[in-house]
Amino acid sequence: MENGHYQERIRGIYGYISENLYLNRPDIEIKGEKFNSALLFGLLTGLNGGKELIVGEPGLGKTTSAEYVGSILYRYPLGVIWGSEVSGHPEQTEEKIIGRPHLGELNKGREVVVWTNFAQIPVKIVDEINRLPETKQSMILNGVDRGNWEYLNEILINDEYCLFATANYQDRGTNTIIAPLIDRFDILVESRHPGPNIAFTIGKEAKLNHPLRHPQYEKELHQILRGNKSYEEKMAMAEEICDLFGKYMKENLGLEGLNKEERREIKEEMLNIDFDLDANAFVRMILAELSFCHKYGQKRSVEVCEEGCHYTGYLCHHIKNCASNRLPISIRNYSQALAWFLEDDEVDLEHVRMVIPYTLAHRIQWRDSYISKKEGEGRNDPFQIYLAKEATEETFQRYNEQREYLVEALSLACRAFVGEEITPLDGDHPIYEEIKKDIGAKDEKSF
Amino acid sequence: MKNPFEAFHQTAGRRREIPLDKILKSKEETLTKILKGYEDLLKNEAKDLVWLMQYSTVIKAYSIAEKGIEGIEYTAEDIEEFCYALDRSDQIPYLITGPAGVYISALCNYAKEEEITLHLRDLNVKINLLGYRLPPNKKLIVEGNVGDFTGIGLDGGELIIEGSGKNYTGAGMKRGKIIVRHNLGFNTGHGMTGGEIVVGGRIKGLGKIVGGKVFERDHLIFPNEGVKPFYF
Repeated sequence: MENGHYQERIRGIYGYISENLYLNRPDIEIKGEKFNSALLFGLLTGLNGGKELIVGEPGLGKTTSAEYVGSILYRYPLGVIWGSEVSGHPEQTEEKIIGRPHLGELNKGREVVVWTNFAQIPVKIVDEINRLPETKQSMILNGVDRGNWEYLNEILINDEYCLFATANYQDRGTNTIIAPLIDRFDILVESRHPGPNIAFTIGKEAKLNHPLRHPQYEKELHQILRGNKSYEEKMAMAEEICDLFGKYMKENLGLEGLNKEERREIKEEMLNIDFDLDANAFVRMILAELSFCHKYGQKRSVEVCEEGCHYTGYLCHHIKNCASNRLPISIRNYSQALAWFLEDDEVDLEHVRMVIPYTLAHRIQWRDSYISKKEGEGRNDPFQIYLAKEATEETFQRYNEQREYLVEALSLACRAFVGEEITPLDGDHPIYEEIKKDIGAKDEKSF
Repeated sequence: MKNPFEAFHQTAGRRREIPLDKILKSKEETLTKILKGYEDLLKNEAKDLVWLMQYSTVIKAYSIAEKGIEGIEYTAEDIEEFCYALDRSDQIPYLITGPAGVYISALCNYAKEEEITLHLRDLNVKINLLGYRLPPNKKLIVEGNVGDFTGIGLDGGELIIEGSGKNYTGAGMKRGKIIVRHNLGFNTGHGMTGGEIVVGGRIKGLGKIVGGKVFERDHLIFPNEGVKPFYF
């Protein structure tokens, strides 16, 4: 791939954070290289403008890992990132998250919105999102999904942003994250305990001044964000300060972040990476298993499929809900980002097999019978990620068994779709049924 | 509506090639070349499916075998594969263990590896003449039983048989060592002028030995007081 210098920079950032700021063990391996999943996916989230939910025990670096990634990649001093974070708690209000009326202007009879830093800057961190009551989670749905923040009659649209949210495991103070909000997250990772030996060294070299802090630039950025100028003007001014902080990081830490134009270029490079046939067919196969229902036409969380169905051996039988259209988007974006990071020309099976479990983990609602069957099994990952990894590998096995046949079926479907009279291939997998529906060879059941 | 299967346009029948396919393909090509050399040897030396084991015929067969394997890139695994191919009637038109042994010996003598192990325990036939002219710095280990004339004319190499041999083992050997874990047949070491034959089990009978040493179960049985060197 061209422009390998960007990847080199990102690897530099990964190396710096993992060696100095977020000490942890590698827990995933791809193409012979080992990475820490929380850090790697954090960087990919920052690069592709994704939304990441980080889970883990308190104090294991969920928020700090996101802060470091956001600060270095987007070149915002750490103080600004801190000042822009939203923390989840029952008393949280729209005024603290999105914006409030300008009181002075209001006294003069004019409605002017003072946007929060959170709504304005491209690095958004919501700390302990599951401490937000379910009723208040709806406030951030649109913002999380599209970067649109509405208050009074005004709207602020972020042209680029990435979102990190952290969540503790269930305790007395936490709430369930509502289904529409959780589905909006592209990826779920766990910030793990680094092990006693690494944990012992954390804080050993604690410094009085954090290397990513810069009080002067922080003050200037706060002033810009608080100012009365238009959002676009403020962002342009902020970018200038970010450039200065970028220079400071380069000179003092040897780290090169990315300016807005570079981030845009990287996103474009990622988008241009195609899926190879195997990755393409495999993703279709897993999507088929996560959305297909032989009896009811598609999965619906309110309809439970019965025992004795022919497709009992597939994922559709073990899950309650249907895969949303955000799932393939997340798989695509993160697989492309991973392939870009590894400087591969195409997205291949290894990329998608690595990414899929993390995009599925929070989205699948497993049936209770399946959970009770699996919960006793030994594992290293949190249960959700473990189940998603198992599901991915199970489907991958099925893919390997019928790869040639499936590609043939998809190829014939391509010809049938444009009108050729071809009999579609039959096979023992939901994907063959779905292909038939797409080419009109199988009528949808009528009411 | 856009064709959702567009990516699979003209992909029917296109097979995925994995690294293993490449390896298997190259192995098949090598085996084909080795088999071709063997068939040439048979065409020249066993036209009537008869091969008489004589001093001159072995020498001639070996020189044809040398030519047959010239230019073939192969490994010890390929030699082993060839041995099993000999065992399968569908791959080899006819198996004559004499020329086959000479051919395998030539393959071993010219192999890149200094140490070659042939796992032949599952072989149905016992190949004759294995280890013929095994040169110095070569070690040939055969797992399984072998036939007659094993290690004849051994020329400094080390031949280890993890099993039993038959008659005329080590006949005419000049130097080197033959180690046999189990038993040997009649005329062991016939005409040998140097080197050692070490047998872990029993030897049915020694041949007319000129020089060298023969051990049976750690005992030196040639030369000793009862068995003197033979002078042709």
